[in-house]
Amino acid sequence: MSEMKKIKNLKEFSTSADRFEGANLLCPGCAHSIIVREVLNATNDDLILAASTGCLEVCTAVYPYTSWDASWIHIGFENGSTAVAGAEAMYKALKRKGRLKQPDREPKFVAFGGDGASYDIGFQWISGCFERGHNMMYVVLDNEVYANTGGQRSSSTPIGASTTTAPAGRVSYGEKMNKKDMLAIMAAHGSPYVAQVAPNKWKDMVKKIQHGLATEGPVFINAMSACTTEWKFLPEDTIAISDLATDSLVFPLYEIIDGRKLNITYRPKNVIPVKDYLGAQGRFKHLFKPENKHVLDEWQARVDRDWEYLQRREEAGV
Amino acid sequence: MADKMELRDVEVWDGNMAASQAMRQVQIDVVAAYPITPSTPIVENYGNYLANGYVDGEFVMVESEHAAMSGCIGASAAGGRVATATSSQGFALMVETLYQASGMRLPIVLNVVNRALAAPLNVNGDHSDMYLGRDSGWIQLDAYNPQQAYDLNFIAFRVAEDHEVRLPCMVHQDGFLTSHTAQGVKTLDDDTAYNFVGEFKPMNDMLDLDHPVTHGVQTEEDWHFEHKARQHNDLMTKVFPKIEAAFDAFEKLTGRRYNIVETYNTEGADAVVVCMGTSVETAIEVAKELRADGKKVGVIGIRVIRPWPHAQIAEALKGIKAIGALDRSSPNGTFGMLYNELAGTVVNSGESKVLTNYVYGLGGRDLTKVHLREIYAELLANAEAGKPTTPLQQLIGVRGPKISFH
Amino acid sequence: MNNGWNDFEIGAMLRSFDGAVNGIATTLQEDRPYSKSNSFTASVADWRIEKPIFNKDYCIDCQFCWIYCPDISIISRDKKMVGVDYDHCKGCGICAEVCPTNPKSLLMFAEQEDEDKALAGWPEKEKKEN
Repeated sequence: MSEMKKIKNLKEFSTSADRFEGANLLCPGCAHSIIVREVLNATNDDLILAASTGCLEVCTAVYPYTSWDASWIHIGFENGSTAVAGAEAMYKALKRKGRLKQPDREPKFVAFGGDGASYDIGFQWISGCFERGHNMMYVVLDNEVYANTGGQRSSSTPIGASTTTAPAGRVSYGEKMNKKDMLAIMAAHGSPYVAQVAPNKWKDMVKKIQHGLATEGPVFINAMSACTTEWKFLPEDTIAISDLATDSLVFPLYEIIDGRKLNITYRPKNVIPVKDYLGAQGRFKHLFKPENKHVLDEWQARVDRDWEYLQRREEAGV
Repeated sequence: MADKMELRDVEVWDGNMAASQAMRQVQIDVVAAYPITPSTPIVENYGNYLANGYVDGEFVMVESEHAAMSGCIGASAAGGRVATATSSQGFALMVETLYQASGMRLPIVLNVVNRALAAPLNVNGDHSDMYLGRDSGWIQLDAYNPQQAYDLNFIAFRVAEDHEVRLPCMVHQDGFLTSHTAQGVKTLDDDTAYNFVGEFKPMNDMLDLDHPVTHGVQTEEDWHFEHKARQHNDLMTKVFPKIEAAFDAFEKLTGRRYNIVETYNTEGADAVVVCMGTSVETAIEVAKELRADGKKVGVIGIRVIRPWPHAQIAEALKGIKAIGALDRSSPNGTFGMLYNELAGTVVNSGESKVLTNYVYGLGGRDLTKVHLREIYAELLANAEAGKPTTPLQQLIGVRGPKISFH
Repeated sequence: MNNGWNDFEIGAMLRSFDGAVNGIATTLQEDRPYSKSNSFTASVADWRIEKPIFNKDYCIDCQFCWIYCPDISIISRDKKMVGVDYDHCKGCGICAEVCPTNPKSLLMFAEQEDEDKALAGWPEKEKKEN
């Protein structure tokens, strides 16, 4: 087991040598790269990376350029998880057979995918990888929409959001379904560690990534990735919007260990109303019309209920 | 270290057993697989070898064929020997990843036990899945019996993994007719088999931590064509010499001779059928009997489907007057693949030949010796007349009124 | 870059570095043997409409700008903010937004703004309103 990187504070963290490079093609202000940087900088271990088709992939490996300083593979939209699982299987085989080129080094296997690639089209592949227990980490860059293809709804799109395939209109308030609870589903796989993270809470994120990388078995990380383009806010506001999400508890930060034990890892000092979060984004602006007030009320009620549930589960300690 | 298995010089194996034994002997590093009829026993046999210590690689039983090939791609890019097996619907589910494997130049070996494609659902052998793979950028080898299914696996690994080739390779055999029919198979001992293929030599391997590599990039209109051109060029120019060399080496080792295009009684023949799979063996039997009756007929079996052996087939067809292209897959709105490919090959040969198309054996329907005698009679009439005496395309062995086109 | 179909690596494979590297996670950018395929060697400077200008007089080296920069464009060395990498900065403005000093140590200016002029006209400390 390699030694865990010491990251006591932000100054110490800032001495990291990034293994993700600039002049990638992600939008200005994109949270994807903030998340990827925090994940990669959390460790000095060798990394074998994969990405599913999506914003991150199409913006970081466009021939003749790569933005990756560790080995990286992309196959398709649905199989980033299985790509890295295949590589992990090869690592195990070559280790057993004594054919690793650097036998004293233990790389970590990490796959990235958007919510479309993870909640929807690649769901089965992730489920298979987790059921089989590959030693890998899967990180969802959850921007709650098919952003790469121009903003279509996914099963992660929250209720009331206007997307290009479920737009708000004269007789519709947009998305009708609640966001899929992916963390609960992955915890139900018996994963040793699943966690929800947000890039604005970098310390919480780094701690969880380090814990995840030190955990044997398949680890699932759902990272909120505020999308300036599809959530419709200004690029400089990515961190501010992320703060609204975590402080309104729309995106609570917690972890579940061994599929059972739930820990809340961030409790806002001042919980802000959900409507403050929704009101800051163009995708929800129609909810502030009088006829859609019921959606706002339902939102707040649901966030309150979910928070209550998380706290009860944490207290129960089972 | 995996245990060695003692084999008799001749084992009674079906095609699935033959393929799985070859997979065991080459000591694959990662097999990611999913079971489907009729290739399931390959995967089951392999699991059995693992359970008994005859395999020391990783065996990943995934949740779908798409994941099987996805896992194979990840494993192969990581840097090691990789193979799997599938059939039919599973092959169809894999198609997306087949293009990705070949485009990334990963030398994966895929045993395809040929089976029809639904709808209607059918578990028996025809060549629909094999035809579906023909534009995927893979090398495709075709076995006509269990012995060949065994032998061609060694050829496949040796050619695919060659650094001048680095293209994935399919080994096809007919569902049930080969896969489930036990025959005598001459074996190689474990060391001889392994040494024929040799130790895997990694290239652009992700697990070489000192040389980080990016696999699976995006190329748009500014670069895509060049990469596809390179892959096509390598298929067209680099594969045949390597296959030829592997066939020569294999003959030296075993005495068994393989050819890119197999010819039987084509010397001085007026008419030949061109076919694949088990039908080649049936056709040889009939051709022999007809030769004994003084009929000048022969058989051409396609051994390498991709790359298409244009020059070798043109050579084999020299002087032949009538050709019957036998396609075991529904063309669904055109001529059969073999007919079209052969037409492309003979049209510039400078010789006048009559080419007709027979669609047969869909969903495992038997191709009988009676069918072949009828076909040869028609082909000989074509040769005699110097023009088609039948419709250009006929479906044979199907119930109801005669069905033919053009 | 490569010109013809016959002179690039098969499989459209790209290398991040020229030759062997070891311990890249602890090797700073200036010490890395980047290959010409590494996007580090490319520039997105022409994406910018506005650029951040850094005024080190007010900087407390909190590193908020470093952690939240999506484009690895805040250059920090030895726990100190050194400056902005204008080859890779896309001008999103997050760094200026998260800067906690008063006045800010990073502010956004029009791309054509002269740095000396910007520094000379840097705003005063804002008085807190009671």
